[in-house]
Amino acid sequence: MTDPKPRIAIIPGDPSGIGPELIARLLHEDGVTDAADIVLVGDGHVWHRGAEQAGLGIQLAPIAAPDLHDQHGLSWLPMQTIAPEDVRIAEVTVAGGTSSLRCLDTALDLAMDGAVDGVLFGPFNKAALTSAGLNAEDEHRYMARYLGFRGYHGEINVLGDLMTTRVTSHIGLRDVADRITPEAITQAIGLAEDTCRRAGKSRPHIAVAALNPHAGDNGKFGREEIDVLQPVIDAAQAKQKHVTGPWPSDTVFLKAQRGEVDAVVTMYHDQGQIAIKLMGFDRGVTVAGGLPIPVATPAHGTAFDIAGQGKANVGATLEAYRLLVRMARHHRAARAA
Amino acid sequence: MTGPAPIALTCGEPAGIGPELAAKAWDTLRGTLPFVWLGDPGHLPQGTPVARIDDPAEAAGAALRALPVIPHGFGGPAVPGQPDPSHAAHVIAVIEQSVAMAQAGKVAGVCTGPIHKKALKDGAGFAHPGHTEFLAALGGVDRVVMMLACPALRVVPATIHIPLAQVPGALTASGLRDVLRITHAGLRRDFSIENPRLAVAGLNPHAGEGGAMGTEEIDLIFPVIKDLQAEGMAIIGPHSADTMFHPAARARYDAAVCMYHDQALIPIKTLDFSGGVNVTLGLPFIRTSPDHGTAFDIAGTGRADPASLIAALRLARDMGAARAATG
Repeated sequence: MTDPKPRIAIIPGDPSGIGPELIARLLHEDGVTDAADIVLVGDGHVWHRGAEQAGLGIQLAPIAAPDLHDQHGLSWLPMQTIAPEDVRIAEVTVAGGTSSLRCLDTALDLAMDGAVDGVLFGPFNKAALTSAGLNAEDEHRYMARYLGFRGYHGEINVLGDLMTTRVTSHIGLRDVADRITPEAITQAIGLAEDTCRRAGKSRPHIAVAALNPHAGDNGKFGREEIDVLQPVIDAAQAKQKHVTGPWPSDTVFLKAQRGEVDAVVTMYHDQGQIAIKLMGFDRGVTVAGGLPIPVATPAHGTAFDIAGQGKANVGATLEAYRLLVRMARHHRAARAA
Repeated sequence: MTGPAPIALTCGEPAGIGPELAAKAWDTLRGTLPFVWLGDPGHLPQGTPVARIDDPAEAAGAALRALPVIPHGFGGPAVPGQPDPSHAAHVIAVIEQSVAMAQAGKVAGVCTGPIHKKALKDGAGFAHPGHTEFLAALGGVDRVVMMLACPALRVVPATIHIPLAQVPGALTASGLRDVLRITHAGLRRDFSIENPRLAVAGLNPHAGEGGAMGTEEIDLIFPVIKDLQAEGMAIIGPHSADTMFHPAARARYDAAVCMYHDQALIPIKTLDFSGGVNVTLGLPFIRTSPDHGTAFDIAGTGRADPASLIAALRLARDMGAARAATG
């Protein structure tokens, strides 16, 4: 019988940013080391520096990769990805990006091998990743490619109990309406539903946002709601899914604030991001939705303006960890079954 | 007695929640904020204390004991949720009357109750696209700006009730310049802000990220901002819309100018669902309105929340005082 406690790999993110400090803080939060077995993956000096920045201690008990299947408690898988003198706090460096990617690759390998049940990463720096050869639109596409995963996947923004997925993401607003197709909406709904399930919600309520102001007001300000969105929603309901909408996007997040929905499917980037960032700028979590293994990270960035100063707020990292533990437990049970 | 002139509150569609909200607003405000309601007293909830007056100047005294009303007979009762075609012409006449009173200086401003466009179109051939356009026509101006205001935020959508797909085509340099100028002038004249600071949102995610996700920021928005900066206006942007509404960002501007309806409405409703007020800038008179519609589904049940109407009356009063002070 499998131990229900999941095992999580944690990587620091960009060593120049607030990631190492945040993970040091995370390990001191109540209940964190009890909720899962934890494997820190990365360079010892990076972890030590993060702990120093936080003004806290960190315990690094080395373990070798072959022993991970029996690992319990808090362990450290040593790596040498960056020389101590190459760590430049609050700077975009190729070395920082390279270190980020090497730790990420290793953690993904561990998860695919079944040695760990989920991966938590500290904030990456997009420019550093790009300079180090990311060669992808973002880290989500990078991870999918690294894992050889060809299915539908995408960034999911999480705030507390609310998840949001997007039908379109990083494209010009001019191109949004043409991409609002039945297939794309169905996939975004499916991704939301799947991720909610993996987080332990068996029949999530998914609210679909409208594209046009006032949801088109019966076709007066656009017909996508009538011609595209409503038929997709009807079809989902016919399959007994709890999918509702299309809801005017200026009020759909109020439903979410009242706890009436588990996920909102948005049509374009700013539609969801404006509300989510207003509702909890410091608590947002990003999940790599759709991937075969659970991966989560705080939604904020490397915060170079405060990096190395011991001021970083652990809130979003703690939320990311808690969500990841739920998903990892589900993943572990599904694998054992 | 010579206090400040009162605010005129129009009844709007009597089958909606306008009349019952007027009664609730008076009950909350009493004499603290004199306003006069224009409409058919028979449409107010039963038991509402009414003081019929002829001249708005009587409103301040009358408001201490009852809702001051300048009566306008509609010729029949209002059924909640069911607009009567024969009332349409009266709804329009009340709006015209309130504007005439404002133009004559008898009221400090107009706060409009929600109308139902289709009811006015069916009943009286109302041809204007909306309430605001009708008021612009009455005021003799071509171009007005809609602003939504709550204590935490003021937003102006540069385009409003059009499909999202048409937004990029509807944005022009001259249109955007007009919106920014009218907003700037309105904040100076009606909000007593000597040097208004405007922040402009980008159209695209991450404000286009240097042209990687759309070029409207580079081709259109930034040049307009530069032109107006050269004229001396304190104006910043284009900003990524998802990071310009948190408290630290809001502290840097007096109003945010957004490119489309939901870009402006999502943040203000997320911050303050019931307290948002709709303001029309660029009219020759003050105009505010609550940020909700006729709510036929709950009309007559007494459940309607007067918070937005009360906020709209307060803002009209403050704007009236600011305009009186700046001349």
